[in-house]
Amino acid sequence: MLELENVVGHAMSVAKAAGAEETKSAASWSSHMEMEQRNGVIEKTSQATSQGLVISLMVDGRYSGHSTSDLRKEAVEAFVKRAVDATRVLEPDEDRRQIALDKMGSNPIDELDLFDPSEPVTGGQLREKITDFESEVQARKSPDLVSATAHIWTSNSHGFTAFSNGFSGRSQSTSFGLGGEVAMLEESGKRPEASAFFSTRHKSDQPSRSMIAETLWERAGEVTKSGAGPSGKFPMFLSNRVAGKVVGSLLGAMSGVAIWQGRSMLADKLGEQVASSGFTVRDEPTIPRGIGSRCFDGDGLRPESRFLFEEGRLSTYLLDVYHARKLKMEPTGAGVSNIVVAPGERSWQDMASSIPTSIRVTSFLGGNSNSTTGDFSFGIRGQLLEHGEVVQNLSEMNISGNLLDLIKRYQEAGNDPWLWSSYRLPTLLFDGVQFSGA
Amino acid sequence: MNSPQLIGPALSLSLPKGTYFERFGVTREALMKVMSAALSRGADDCDLFFEHAQNNSISLVDGSVNRASTGVDLGMGVRARCGDSVGVSYTEDLSVKAMIAAASTAAEIASTGKQVDPVDIKSVGLPNYYPVKQPWEGVGMSDRVPLLRNWEAKAFALDSRIKKVQTHFIDSEKVIMIVRPDGRLIEDYQPMVLGYVTCTAEENGVTESGAYNIAQRAGMEMFDDQELQDRLVRKAVDRTTFLLGAGKPPAGELPVVLGPGASGILLHEAVGHGLEADFNRKGTSIFSSQMDQRVAPEFVTVVDNGVIPGARGSINTDDEGNPTEETVLIENGVLRSYIHDEISAAHYKVKPTGSGRRESFRSAPIPRMRSTYMEPGPHDPAEIIKSVKLGIYCETFGNGQVQIGAGDFAFYMRHGYLIEDGKLTKPIKDVNLIGNGPAALADVKMVGNDLVIDEGGWTCGKDGQGVPVSQGMPTVKIGSLVVGGMN
Repeated sequence: MLELENVVGHAMSVAKAAGAEETKSAASWSSHMEMEQRNGVIEKTSQATSQGLVISLMVDGRYSGHSTSDLRKEAVEAFVKRAVDATRVLEPDEDRRQIALDKMGSNPIDELDLFDPSEPVTGGQLREKITDFESEVQARKSPDLVSATAHIWTSNSHGFTAFSNGFSGRSQSTSFGLGGEVAMLEESGKRPEASAFFSTRHKSDQPSRSMIAETLWERAGEVTKSGAGPSGKFPMFLSNRVAGKVVGSLLGAMSGVAIWQGRSMLADKLGEQVASSGFTVRDEPTIPRGIGSRCFDGDGLRPESRFLFEEGRLSTYLLDVYHARKLKMEPTGAGVSNIVVAPGERSWQDMASSIPTSIRVTSFLGGNSNSTTGDFSFGIRGQLLEHGEVVQNLSEMNISGNLLDLIKRYQEAGNDPWLWSSYRLPTLLFDGVQFSGA
Repeated sequence: MNSPQLIGPALSLSLPKGTYFERFGVTREALMKVMSAALSRGADDCDLFFEHAQNNSISLVDGSVNRASTGVDLGMGVRARCGDSVGVSYTEDLSVKAMIAAASTAAEIASTGKQVDPVDIKSVGLPNYYPVKQPWEGVGMSDRVPLLRNWEAKAFALDSRIKKVQTHFIDSEKVIMIVRPDGRLIEDYQPMVLGYVTCTAEENGVTESGAYNIAQRAGMEMFDDQELQDRLVRKAVDRTTFLLGAGKPPAGELPVVLGPGASGILLHEAVGHGLEADFNRKGTSIFSSQMDQRVAPEFVTVVDNGVIPGARGSINTDDEGNPTEETVLIENGVLRSYIHDEISAAHYKVKPTGSGRRESFRSAPIPRMRSTYMEPGPHDPAEIIKSVKLGIYCETFGNGQVQIGAGDFAFYMRHGYLIEDGKLTKPIKDVNLIGNGPAALADVKMVGNDLVIDEGGWTCGKDGQGVPVSQGMPTVKIGSLVVGGMN
């Protein structure tokens, strides 16, 4: 494996010698192996190791950022010198300077437990496992199945970051994934597909093959024989694994750049009641083995647990050091880690049982949102529910509205948090959402 | 040593004796060894893909040109093929040892005992669809600065409601070298440039942001065109101020008129992806088993074209080393061809269409679109609008997506108009449209005679790989799509 400290140290010393006053540099090394098997045949294997270097520079008060995968010593030297020269033509921007060393820090890498130290997986083991999994998928085969593809992957990554003020930190993580996709042929000629993928930091945390296969077939049941439902305003159950689309759109409007550039529906709303009182969202960076957990952010700040929304109030903006200075505020950390909404008491079926007609959104197709105004319009798939019973699978429908209005319509969280992503969200219920369909 | 011929604008770069070998630090002997390793377990075929890319970006934000970034990417990808199966690997370390290790890893996809030996390599000449006068290697960071300032000044001058302006200049040049065991050595120099202006406007307490960009496979000479620079800024301003007074259309099924140009996103999503042959080979596209059947009215012809001069989606060679071309996908309403890479072409026993593309040496080539558009049709654009009683007219778009198997597609309209009694009336914005690909294609009612290839910097994503594409459309009327409006 590459000596990451040496690569970073070399790049930083070249930059300093060429005239950079401040530098931050990170080197990474990773290896991955993946396989894809379809209808009993391995169709693709991919295996490689990868490396890279990034460096950002302050030269005469001017700032720029650079990356390269060519880590030959003489190539790095030429690359960094050219980067320093390119920086000199820019205008000064003192707000880019690093924050003081005493403000930097890191969550303990061992407590995050993102790296699985057990014996690396071999190609032979992957082959065996993917074959077992595909048999499990095929065992529940429906006569309409036209294609079943299984995917398996494993990777490990190492990084080292250093700031010229003396702060440095390491990162290391592993990832293990297994899942698949199925396509079914319908009389209409449509071949709806469903997929299920599960990724974990540790091998031993992976769900069983039968659980993944079961999830895959459950989703297949949700997409077959679908069509557009009625246009109108209905209560919406936003399914746990896709709720991140809405929450993520809000986070975009909380970013320092959106606030500073006046492109945020949440500008001037800090501390205000923007959502209904039950809407509480947290950022939890230190969940052991969490997909989004991390030690430090791009400014060298230590991410801490925090409220993003607390009982409907906007608790924070997401400010990196640079945009905090522009806004004359304290930095709060630009990135988010694991996004958590505490699960509620009831399942979505329980909640839906008392509602005459509602729609459960199970996936999104296209669409977008406008972070300046909050307007959104997303394509969806889902299920039409009557008193909690599925009466029709839905496709070719849109939901539209304004995010600021939508979060005021938030009602309740389900008891089903999705823990296989950095968005650890349960099903979320919203009232009176505009659907367009037939 | 046979000195491979370098075709195209890269001759003007500081490349020694017109060969890419030195850029990648490899020799003919090393290439033969690496290919032998890739074929050592009995693969049918293999390819080596060398890439050296340099990217630059510089921006003006709030009156100051104070941010820039550069990137260098260097490496080699190797793929061994055995029937429909592939083994892939790559390395950023171009030492012979590391390349042989990568090739040996890729080779493991096969275990046939067959022995294919690579033959001596010879350069293959290419046509050049993007000749460059001023390659980026010779353009200094400081040469880009005056343009960024001009665009900003023009934007503020055009409309007093514009409160903030950002201007961005992004360029790249990529040198690729593909080596095949049948002796082909293919080299290309692939430039790209993108000018990008974003604005924020305010009026009566309403704030809106909008943008415009122009992309080409070109060098710095693209900006010799003053009218192009004016258009870049004017459209960014217009698209922003337009939104200040725009509302939402009604929700539900409505007739949709697509304006010329960027509406090609509908073809890209509704038709193009479904015709990528890998999905059809697997039986997972809604267009599987429809070859030579009628899929659209007589006046619909859809093309995927890799050879439009200077277009963002154009390529002199695909990433498997096959010649690129103009591929007619749907001819007068009848499905005539899929979009092929070598694997699907071999599967269907047809010639590759030069559509095997990859994001970089780290990914495997797969069938991809280039510039996708509908040929002009028989109708007058004004008559098309006149024919609609209540519907929407779509002018510009943000993004789109498709579910290949079900055929459902969506695209996000940023600017448009309500059509009432055959006239464009209220401005509308930010609406997702959704439909079913084959159904929408069969439901094309009219096709205008005004084809425009959009000049925007579109990137198509598939299997986690982004590649630059273009798209185009004449004015087209679709009988009905589901419009994500508000009632």
